[in-house]
Amino acid sequence: MSALLAASDGYEAPSTDIFWQPLIGSGQWAVTRASVVMVLSVIGIGWWLLATTRRKAVVPNRSQFYTEQIYGLVRNSVARDIIGSQEFMTFVPMLFAMFVLILVNNLFGVIAPIQFPTMSRIGFPIALTLVVYVTYHAVGIRRWGLGGYFKHMIPPGVPGWVLVILFPLELLTYFFTRPVTLALRLFGNMFAGHILLVLFITGGEYLVFSSGVLAYIPLGIISYIMAFVMTLFEILVEFLQAYIFVLLTALYIAGSLADEH
Amino acid sequence: MDDDAHRSVGRVDDAEAWTVLAYLISGPLLYGGLGWLADRWLGTTPWLVLVGIVGGMVLAVYVVWVRYGAHDRRPPSASS
Repeated sequence: MSALLAASDGYEAPSTDIFWQPLIGSGQWAVTRASVVMVLSVIGIGWWLLATTRRKAVVPNRSQFYTEQIYGLVRNSVARDIIGSQEFMTFVPMLFAMFVLILVNNLFGVIAPIQFPTMSRIGFPIALTLVVYVTYHAVGIRRWGLGGYFKHMIPPGVPGWVLVILFPLELLTYFFTRPVTLALRLFGNMFAGHILLVLFITGGEYLVFSSGVLAYIPLGIISYIMAFVMTLFEILVEFLQAYIFVLLTALYIAGSLADEH
Repeated sequence: MDDDAHRSVGRVDDAEAWTVLAYLISGPLLYGGLGWLADRWLGTTPWLVLVGIVGGMVLAVYVVWVRYGAHDRRPPSASS
């Protein structure tokens, strides 16, 4: 972080450059910090889930209890309540995997040695969104047939002449706005949160240690306090965004399946 | 079980608020975009793009109302 501060030129605010951190190689095939964090999260999640569920006890120990709490949240509060008790189990593995993956990668944004939210690189939310995109269209087409799926997009009880202007709107929503907002919401929250934290932390560091002006030191301390407050706020946002991502995924799947006619 | 069903209906209604955003963006985007194209074609800048954005908003709110607002009114009218 201190590399961002040009010692003699004064304070340089964090820019989008802080998100591009190639570790090995350069250019588009570089292994970046984000990809290393992603691999780390997959290994960590895999290890945790295996370790906490290998010996399944009826009365769980503490770590199994935590895993079951998170699984229960996704299975019951997201999948079952939204997709419905008939068909939800098919989608629980995907929803649970997505939730845990996004949650851990988001939380890495504030966990000390890592401190990089993977989802602040747009490629990762786009990849996850593509999975969701293919899933809810495939589920809808399998249920209703290709023509039936398009017919299914139109809400019931709409007068004929409105359909003409309403159908393009539904098409755009299903095929463009939904995936774009899904990916951008996750990306934007993580991107903005990270840049805010970097701003308060490096700003505080500059004001307290590097500015050389005594009067700036209290301001730097305020900046550090803000960094602490925003870190707490970020933890909330990171959890919320993981939750909303799978919630919307479940809603889109439910929308493709639901019988509204 | 009945209690469970009631609670989950309430939850779905709450959750559906998140899907509304996509419609509210689609409406002005689509009809504002068409209005912009028509403006360029007919040389009526900026009137059709304004009509398109406002019309798109109205339509988006209408879709939201039809899709999600109608749930509450369905049970009483089910007998008719």
